[in-house]
Amino acid sequence: MNSAVIFAAILTALLLAAAAKGETADPAVPGFAEETATSGLDHTFSGEWTFMVGGGAAVFDCNGDLKPEVFLAGGTAPAQLFLNESQTGGALHFAAAESGLEIDQVSGAWPLDIDGDGITDLAVLRVGQDRLMRGLGDCRFEDASAAWGFDGLDLWSTAFAAMWEKGQSWPTLAVGSYIDRTQEAFPWGSCTPNHLYRPAAAGGYGAPIGLTPGFCALSILFTDWNRSGAPSLRVSNDREYYKGGQEQLWHFPPGAPPALYTPEEGWARLRIWGMGIAQTDVTGDGYPDYFLTSMADNKLQVLADPATGQPQFTDQAFKRGVTAHRPFIGDDKRPSTAWHAEFSDVNNDGRADLYIVKGNVWDMPDFAEKDPNNMLLQREDGTFLEAADLAGVASMAEGRGGAAVDLNADGLPDLISVNRNAPTQVWRNTGGAGMGHFLSLRLSQPQGNRDGIGAIIEIRAKDLPLQTHEVTVGGGHGGGNLGWQHFGIGAADSAEVRITWPDEGAGPWQTLAGDAFWRLAPQAEPQREAP
Amino acid sequence: MTISRRGFGLGLAALAAMAMPLRGQAAGDAGAQVMRQWYRLMLELVRHTPTYSPPVASRAFAYTGIIAHEVLRGGPGGGVTLAGQLNELLPLPERESGAVHDEAVLLNAALALAVKQFFANTGPTGQRAMQAMEKALTRQVETGVAPDVLRRSRDFAEAVVLHVSAWSGADRGAVVENLGFPETWELTPGPAHWVPTSTVAVQQKPLLPFWGNVRPFAMPEGNSCPLPPPPAYSEDPSSEFYKEAKEVYDTVNALTKEQRAIAAFWSDDPMLSSTPPGHWISIAMTELDLEAAPATRWAAVMARLGITLADAFIGCWHSKFEYDLVRPITYIQRVIDPKWQPILNTPPFPEYPSGHSTQSGAAAAVLDAVFGADHAFVDGTHLDDGIPERPFANFQAAAQEAGISRLYGGIHFRAAIERGLDQGACIGAHAVGLRIEA
Repeated sequence: MNSAVIFAAILTALLLAAAAKGETADPAVPGFAEETATSGLDHTFSGEWTFMVGGGAAVFDCNGDLKPEVFLAGGTAPAQLFLNESQTGGALHFAAAESGLEIDQVSGAWPLDIDGDGITDLAVLRVGQDRLMRGLGDCRFEDASAAWGFDGLDLWSTAFAAMWEKGQSWPTLAVGSYIDRTQEAFPWGSCTPNHLYRPAAAGGYGAPIGLTPGFCALSILFTDWNRSGAPSLRVSNDREYYKGGQEQLWHFPPGAPPALYTPEEGWARLRIWGMGIAQTDVTGDGYPDYFLTSMADNKLQVLADPATGQPQFTDQAFKRGVTAHRPFIGDDKRPSTAWHAEFSDVNNDGRADLYIVKGNVWDMPDFAEKDPNNMLLQREDGTFLEAADLAGVASMAEGRGGAAVDLNADGLPDLISVNRNAPTQVWRNTGGAGMGHFLSLRLSQPQGNRDGIGAIIEIRAKDLPLQTHEVTVGGGHGGGNLGWQHFGIGAADSAEVRITWPDEGAGPWQTLAGDAFWRLAPQAEPQREAP
Repeated sequence: MTISRRGFGLGLAALAAMAMPLRGQAAGDAGAQVMRQWYRLMLELVRHTPTYSPPVASRAFAYTGIIAHEVLRGGPGGGVTLAGQLNELLPLPERESGAVHDEAVLLNAALALAVKQFFANTGPTGQRAMQAMEKALTRQVETGVAPDVLRRSRDFAEAVVLHVSAWSGADRGAVVENLGFPETWELTPGPAHWVPTSTVAVQQKPLLPFWGNVRPFAMPEGNSCPLPPPPAYSEDPSSEFYKEAKEVYDTVNALTKEQRAIAAFWSDDPMLSSTPPGHWISIAMTELDLEAAPATRWAAVMARLGITLADAFIGCWHSKFEYDLVRPITYIQRVIDPKWQPILNTPPFPEYPSGHSTQSGAAAAVLDAVFGADHAFVDGTHLDDGIPERPFANFQAAAQEAGISRLYGGIHFRAAIERGLDQGACIGAHAVGLRIEA
């Protein structure tokens, strides 16, 4: 066991013991103002059976003003890109834009720069053929699927992830799929395969590689769970539909086909209604932890012992108070249904908080109809405080996807909830007493993997535990964010930052002023940008 | 005809079977197909409806089997009414005397209504599947049937279902909230008693603590088959209790490949399988298919088996909360080895007796009576999940294996298994004593 792990274990034990004695103060609760009606973000994800899952938000800046645009899946309605016209620190304002992304049957989307031209592209998942939409600049897009040799197949696509394998300038893509939608009477056991798209030698992509067996994935994520430098693919599967299935972890041995981790390698069977994956280092041991959403049974998986090299995880959801298994307000006490989840430090105290979007599947009477979203604020002791009601974000709509992203460049993460058959909601974080300082970081590489996907960001700030975060594309439910990485640094007015770049190893520790936006590149001085 | 055991779990096979022309075959064959298809769907609905823990599932199987039997009993090859034999079941509606009824039509109509009634809280996919099944089977059985016969058959089916539904509503098991976990529950003080064994938040209370008060079907009371107390709690290594715990500990730590396979085969986890009662329903379905049983026999067997499975869970739960015994994982981690883990998930309710043992003992008693005590069979219930089929010399052998699987899995002590099987035999005798066939 390395020293970081020992330290984290001791710290956790001490803090949890302190909590048991009631010695830990509750974190500051930020205020949120719902601006759905006035923001112009007027859109609804709609549909019945084939859109009972999906419905996500892709958040990324396509016009270079530091304020990210929002692309929303529409289900049976066309998807829509909204330009961010918010003033810095002001109310949220969006305008629907004709962008080439007005596509139907969209279940979700993830932004990433696929062709390495410095312009963000979009992977658009559909109930039907998926599409890779090339960014043309100025928030315009065109379908590049054929040009890039991408066979979008004709499946019920539900999950996406991407990574850059060593030596590749184009990303390897993974698409997760759900039920064989032709199986009307007996859909159970009809999960279709997931697929891997590896870059072709001549450019673009080769034929999709089936990742079988597929167990009805609703969220997938390439993640370097053991900090080996070689990400694995974490697959969270919906046990409602698979037979003989479980959660999965694929690894990609050099020169060999993808392979599932086995019990002999330490992989322990877990069967949940897997719907979403959020990752960051909650425990402070330097390794990613994974929050897995489900129904009445959410998990916070922590690597049991990194020294073993085995993917064995313990569930700390109960211990840390993030089970979020039933509505915490209202009269409906039936169990909860959780979808999108995302770690984000919404009060800038230097500790990752957890935003969960909730909502009944579709008239499912065993589960709550009025199922509030969660905003779980991390305490100093590593436990979490439910504050969605105090913060004003406990939406009772039938939520699916979401985002926790700073939309108006004021250093406070705002929230989006994509609801099924109801308008998407947006809340502006208005902060309030007790908010800490922040750092916003944008990783930038000169070519290929432009956004530094796979990089590890570490932050040291006075009186705070080390923060470690892996930059990824994937996870969540139905969508994700690309671009500025937000961190709270508490009372400190500056912090030390170190980036471990995917192909270059760890860079130097650099001191950066707080409450600022910094663009970071390998072997280059940090560049401050003004919002 | 060779019957594939795998056919019970495959969507494509099911649709192919649904596409077979039912009309034009012998009436009994058409009805048997109707039974087979609805029961196949019920096994899936049990698996995919979170409320359907084993006790809840057994109740649905009982009422549905009774409905199937009661709609057919007035027709060719029908049997004896269960009214007057089952607790508080009053005489049911009778067929219109001298008028023509269509057996397949009324059976399909009754099962469509029954499944909607007893699986009302399944999710969107289950609802969609029920609609698809009803549409497909109705089209097949009703084609070419005279309108007056259709109307009469459907009306009679509906009357029977309404009667049974009204009866079921007063059994104290009709409403299950929060997946069966009570809002509040006070743990019994002392180390001998059950405490939560998982970190799943809803499982911090025991499952269905009042299920022992549900009205039984064939046995007079919930405690009609009582059990002696379990071995007295003790942490003394020379005590019987400690020895039983040590047996679980040693066995799990040295499991053979075969023992692991047995534990997995009978695991029958809720929401990941059709649960233990569904497992025995699946066994009976295979045997009925292999003998090409007519619908009346299907219905009689499903009624008798469903009744005893439901009674078994009522009786078992009555004993569980009478003794409220600690689980092996709790005791072993506290007294023997704090790092010990069983290979199965420990169910969230008290240990004594073993539910799988009680209901397997009851099911074996009924299937002995139905198919014969020396009836060998092959059980392929879990083929769809990649678990190989297992052969058994008779039903008692299967019940014994189901029982001991819980020790191999590390979730029960031996006394809970052996006495659970005894309790099941006692409960099964009540169902065997029913007059069902003509």
